[in-house]
Amino acid sequence: MADAAATAGAGGSGTRSGSKQSTNPADNYHLARRRTLQVVVSSLLTEAGFESAEKASVETLTEMLQSYISEIGRSAKSYCEHTARTQPTLSDIVVTLVEMGFNVDTLPAYAKRSQRMVITAPPVTNQPVTPKALTAGQNRPHPPHIPSHFPEFPDPHTYIKTPTYREPVSDYQVLREKAASQRRDVERALTRFMAKTGETQSLFKDDVSTFPLIAARPFTIPYLTALLPSELEMQQMEETDSSEQDEQTDTENLALHISMEDSGAEKENTSVLQQNPSLSGSRNGEENIIDNPYLRPVKKPKIRRKNRHGILLCCPGWS
Amino acid sequence: MSCSGSGADPEAAPASAASAPGPAPPVSAPAALPSSTAAENKIPDAVTGYYLNRAGFEASDPRIIRLISLAAQKFISDIANDALQHCKMKGTASGSSRSKSKDRKYTLTMEDLTPALSEYGINVKKPHYFT
Repeated sequence: MADAAATAGAGGSGTRSGSKQSTNPADNYHLARRRTLQVVVSSLLTEAGFESAEKASVETLTEMLQSYISEIGRSAKSYCEHTARTQPTLSDIVVTLVEMGFNVDTLPAYAKRSQRMVITAPPVTNQPVTPKALTAGQNRPHPPHIPSHFPEFPDPHTYIKTPTYREPVSDYQVLREKAASQRRDVERALTRFMAKTGETQSLFKDDVSTFPLIAARPFTIPYLTALLPSELEMQQMEETDSSEQDEQTDTENLALHISMEDSGAEKENTSVLQQNPSLSGSRNGEENIIDNPYLRPVKKPKIRRKNRHGILLCCPGWS
Repeated sequence: MSCSGSGADPEAAPASAASAPGPAPPVSAPAALPSSTAAENKIPDAVTGYYLNRAGFEASDPRIIRLISLAAQKFISDIANDALQHCKMKGTASGSSRSKSKDRKYTLTMEDLTPALSEYGINVKKPHYFT
């Protein structure tokens, strides 16, 4: 062990014992007070006249000081309890000091003499306080099982999360406006897209790009599109077919289908018109007005299919 | 020596360590209580209170804590003075000049501390080296 001499300066922290110790908060609790005692011992040595001291001797004196105080406390408590009391008094301490070989008569003289050196208290670190401008909301008060000297709860916005949902707008006028503007934007965007990606025709001779018109594609057989139903219509026909089978009998359907295939009798119109209310209601108005047999929904013969989810697996007669 | 059973009794009269049988002189420790202020003690009240609490001693009066810390300080300073005497004896006994050499720098070593402590009945043995 190296006899390293360390200066016992007044108020200095003296030596450090074991710089490689790992300190957890529990150890810090003890070490802080131990260091205070080392400071005290160092200042006492300086007062006695020493300029420096060995590390081992400072440690020894610190240990002695700590155990002396603990022994006084233990012994005074024992004396106090020996006389069936719980609160130690001055007489208990005097008796303790006498028993430990301490001359209490010299104590007042020492108290008067030792008015030379005062050690300033170590600086107290304050708890970080959030400034008033930053606090938001009331802090939660302590529940009864938490003592009051514990720090306060943090601001409620740090740990409380309330998801908020915006109420959807249900104003009729606003919704109509929104729907109309969306529809106009979609139409415009779609036509522009088709104009930009497909062939265009221009109204003006020199300016081609300002007002492009989608070029018309002439069909070879113009009436083919009128005969063929669109995808959407075929899907709706699937749904109406499956719902009709529950409501009507098979003979009625068969009669209708046969009459549709004839394509031209007037009594079909009335029978079909009577069947119209059973179909999907969105096209009722149109079919009443446009009484064109080619625009009526096609009645297909009833085919038993396993899959009725609206996907057309097999269709009769369409290639 | 006897202690009275009531709570506050500043006029307790314990006997000193080497007292003869008979009425003991009144203790002068209560005189030390009002004069000892917090600024005089080197050991903070919190530190002394911490060690007393660890031993089971719960102080009702803060003046008691200051008295105990003062007693502990005096204990250490007595030992330090004795060690200083030893150091000075060793310095002047070897015949060095008294003017300058040993007057300024007194270093507390274990060689000085050990005999000073042995007079108090405390025997310390520190190893010279660690293996």
